[in-house]
Amino acid sequence: MSRLPALAVHRVPWLALSVFALLSVPPARQALESSMSAQMLVQFPLLALCGFMLGMALPSHWRARLDRWNAHGIAGLFGVALLLALSMIPRLLDLAVADPRIDLAKGLALLLAGMALNLSWRPAGLLVQGFFLGNVLPMMAAVGQLYQDSPVRLCNSYLLDDQVRLGQLLVALSVAIALTWFANLARILMRRDGACEMSGRYELP
Amino acid sequence: MLRTALLCVLLALTGYAAAERLTHGFQVWTAEGARRLEVALRPVPVSPVQIEGPGVKRQPLPRWLADSQSVSVVDFVYTRCQTVCLSLGTVFQQMQAQLQEAGPGDSAAARVQLVSISFDPRDGTGDLQAYAKRLRADPRWWRFVRVDGAPDRQRLLADFQVTVVPDGRGDFEHNAALLVLDGHGRLVRVFDIAQQQLALDYARHLAGEGAP
Repeated sequence: MSRLPALAVHRVPWLALSVFALLSVPPARQALESSMSAQMLVQFPLLALCGFMLGMALPSHWRARLDRWNAHGIAGLFGVALLLALSMIPRLLDLAVADPRIDLAKGLALLLAGMALNLSWRPAGLLVQGFFLGNVLPMMAAVGQLYQDSPVRLCNSYLLDDQVRLGQLLVALSVAIALTWFANLARILMRRDGACEMSGRYELP
Repeated sequence: MLRTALLCVLLALTGYAAAERLTHGFQVWTAEGARRLEVALRPVPVSPVQIEGPGVKRQPLPRWLADSQSVSVVDFVYTRCQTVCLSLGTVFQQMQAQLQEAGPGDSAAARVQLVSISFDPRDGTGDLQAYAKRLRADPRWWRFVRVDGAPDRQRLLADFQVTVVPDGRGDFEHNAALLVLDGHGRLVRVFDIAQQQLALDYARHLAGEGAP
């Protein structure tokens, strides 16, 4: 954000919106929705990334105004968690393939979710982040396990082996996110401990 | 903080409303479940698509259904199928055996027919004939038809929410089910393949109701 040169900041929203438009054209939709895993693990994150980039480019006075409705990033992360829960309902994946209006609504919701994530992640701090991930990741892993165990196809538009693969990837992704976050947590805590020890040593005469 | 709480409540309500709509009041989670519920609540009339088959001359499907004055148990197949259609074939054979056993004396059973509709453009009348012979289908109870032309085929599949997915190995995956159509040619109920007895009993019940 602040590290980007001024010119690039101007371009970010246009870049985000053009990627979003590109993702919304029928050939791109068809390609990304041709498999269950691609829709959930490629298209979803790309759409959210567009929103995330829009959030980066949001002018600071807008951000300040939104922050009043989003203390500690709670409202934003809550919204993201709700959207993730909704997207775990298999019917949504089928509807998105069958009905372009639902697909557009899904895209816009993911765009907003990406933006909310950008606006909320840092203000949330470790506590709210941990609570958010502690809810979302087990849900994702549980749904992943269900996708792997289901003997029947949950989506009419997709094949069974696709569903099993998505299940495995969802479990793997939730573990990977948890590990990354914990590694980051450990790093922060160690640095904080280090700082305490240092300051402690300095206090001693 | 108050505004954040307010926004959270608003988000929760929106999420709840969306989930409620998506799952028909938390009753179904899959598109297939939603399809079965929607059909049960609101029967689906058949579009006038052109069909033909062994012993069935080219005509619109609703007219053929109305002329037969029967309740139909319908499945969608393709004759090259090696997987789910084979089990559908077995299910239909067992239902046919039950109908044959009931005999023409049973007025309700006499007004039930089994219909296999092919969605594969490669299937011609000859293919259906051979397929019927292979499955030992008795034309008194069990008919095979194909839909003529891609637009009509798509229309029928869309009407009945049958989703056909090529599996990349030259075969198709499809949401195979037993569809019960009443004497007016409306799709009134969708049953799972495992519910064959229920589907047949339901069809006989409908036929009995409509019998003079």
